[in-house]
Amino acid sequence: MIEIRNIVQSYGRNRVLDDVSLTIEDRSITALIGANGAGKSTLLGVASRLLPVISGCVLLDGIDLRDIKTREIAKAIAVLKQTQSIAVRVTVSELVEFGRFPHCGGRLKQVDKDKIEESINFMDLDDIRDKYIDELSGGQRQRAFIAMILAQDTRYIFLDEPLNNLDIKYSVEMMKIIKRLVRDLNKTIIIVLHDINFAAAYADYIVAMKDGKITNRGRVKDMVTCDVLNNVFDHKFNIIEHHGRRICLYYGSRKFHKSEKMLDKRGMGRQIHMQKCLHHFSKHEVSKAKMKKVLEHHLSAYMHKHKKHDYINKMEQREIRTREHVH
Amino acid sequence: MRALQIRRTQPNKKKRIVYFIILSVGLVVASLLYLYSKTYAKSMRVGIPMTPYALESILIRALPHLAGMLVSALVIACVSLAFQTSTGSRILTPSMVGFDSVFIGTQTFLVFFLGASAKIFANSYTNFFVTAGVMVAISMLMYGAILRNSKNNVIFLLLFGLILSGIIRSASSYLQKIMDVNDYYQLQAATAVTINNMNIKLIYAVAPIMLVLCSIMLIRHRTYDVLALGEANAKNLGVHFQKEINFNLILISIGMSLCTALIGSLTFLGLLAVNIARELFKTHRHSILFIASSLAAALALVFGQGITELLQGAVPITVIIDVVGCSYMFYLILKENKKI
Repeated sequence: MIEIRNIVQSYGRNRVLDDVSLTIEDRSITALIGANGAGKSTLLGVASRLLPVISGCVLLDGIDLRDIKTREIAKAIAVLKQTQSIAVRVTVSELVEFGRFPHCGGRLKQVDKDKIEESINFMDLDDIRDKYIDELSGGQRQRAFIAMILAQDTRYIFLDEPLNNLDIKYSVEMMKIIKRLVRDLNKTIIIVLHDINFAAAYADYIVAMKDGKITNRGRVKDMVTCDVLNNVFDHKFNIIEHHGRRICLYYGSRKFHKSEKMLDKRGMGRQIHMQKCLHHFSKHEVSKAKMKKVLEHHLSAYMHKHKKHDYINKMEQREIRTREHVH
Repeated sequence: MRALQIRRTQPNKKKRIVYFIILSVGLVVASLLYLYSKTYAKSMRVGIPMTPYALESILIRALPHLAGMLVSALVIACVSLAFQTSTGSRILTPSMVGFDSVFIGTQTFLVFFLGASAKIFANSYTNFFVTAGVMVAISMLMYGAILRNSKNNVIFLLLFGLILSGIIRSASSYLQKIMDVNDYYQLQAATAVTINNMNIKLIYAVAPIMLVLCSIMLIRHRTYDVLALGEANAKNLGVHFQKEINFNLILISIGMSLCTALIGSLTFLGLLAVNIARELFKTHRHSILFIASSLAAALALVFGQGITELLQGAVPITVIIDVVGCSYMFYLILKENKKI
């Protein structure tokens, strides 16, 4: 178990972390979220011993990290930073071999070789194992680095924005791999994520940070709510549920915000449909009769479905407004 | 899969062995060429036949000279490689960021404030140890602070080195102007060493230290491999990054002060040797790179010196190395720029 206690960290006068305490659950994915400069990466750096602790302490199974030899820590905690451009030219398998350094000091024994093969196979890198790192695509490179960390054979893995510069396909692939690491290999993963939707979809726990403090933490269900996210990101969120998964909409369209109240209480799909209609009307020359027909059809369908007067009134108002607009 | 992999890496290994053989044979040939040009070529030119006695007396002077060159080439190559690994760049070498001007500056300050007759300066050994100590301290202070704050910022380091060596050079030349004439001559004898007038007296004391230095680096080649991956990765793999860098800086400072005291400054030899080794062997493994770049440096130095001796010193070897190395550096910088 990793316990972070009362960490205070500052760059010059700027307090990046302000008395942060956190306990990380084993065998789970904990996602750190927050706006830029909230201190996520710094917290990750401190917890994974990349940054020196100034005040407070980080405990690994109850022992202060400062009291453990760095070689020993490297057998328990692995960390991957966000920028992965290395100056040397190494092949994928050579990179993975480096993962065994804490265990064997660079002299590979049979155990180490087996472990290397295992992690190369786990990350599906066998066919590109002799390629140089700088020849790989972003997703492949990220996978190669994860393989190195797997070879390191640690219980804890810290990842600092592993989805940076990855396109959607590779991002999803990466998150699936991370999920597998927890499920199949019993790893504990702490990950800094920028995209809240990835955190909502794949993490077990979410820790939200703002201005160097942890504002909220908890299970995804309790964390992905408008109240929490609006506060953390200083931005208006809309949250919809799709097949039991929460999805956040944060693309600041005015239409969304105008109709925010309605969206919270009623489904999203209909609203979007209405907007599509309006958009369609404004774009194409539609005869008034047809427009009226379509709108009335929608309105009647809506009324039939909900039978709520306040909504009907609203829709009517809206219809009138739209008509005026079109005229 | 295994078999396939072995097949794929095999030719590379063979190539490396061939390159090693070529380099070593080349080095032997170069050494012989050097000795030949010192003895028979010279005697033919002058028209005096080589007697066994003359041969012996020349060899007694030429062999330590050769050993000095070999050992310095070894140190320059190792130190440059270690420095490149610590800074994470392929372009920088210690002499480029002003390590050797720190040497000259230290000597000048010693003479100016203590006088050339002071024991510290006059005795080559104490002089050396004091200078090396000062160099270690200065480089630790300056490069330690700068390397810590501007990791991998090659241009900044280069600029810093330029300014540092500029300041130290002008300060020492000013001090040299106002110092006592006798002191000045003594100082000149100590600092204006080149390959041709090597500080032979120092060889027997310095060579063992140099060899120890290089073997320390060679033994730790696996740590260098990891350091080359960059700070975050090295820390992740359980290497105490800052400690290693500091230790490295100490080694580099000692190595540079030894070399500069022995054969003067050779700005581009390190750059040339390390990059030749990298190009030929195409590996990140420091075990190979250390040996290969040492061989390359020794070959370049001894072969060049042999040629200049043959040509009766028409073109000094330092000039050749600087011209070649300088153009190579331009090439490297242009290539790096293109990449970005």
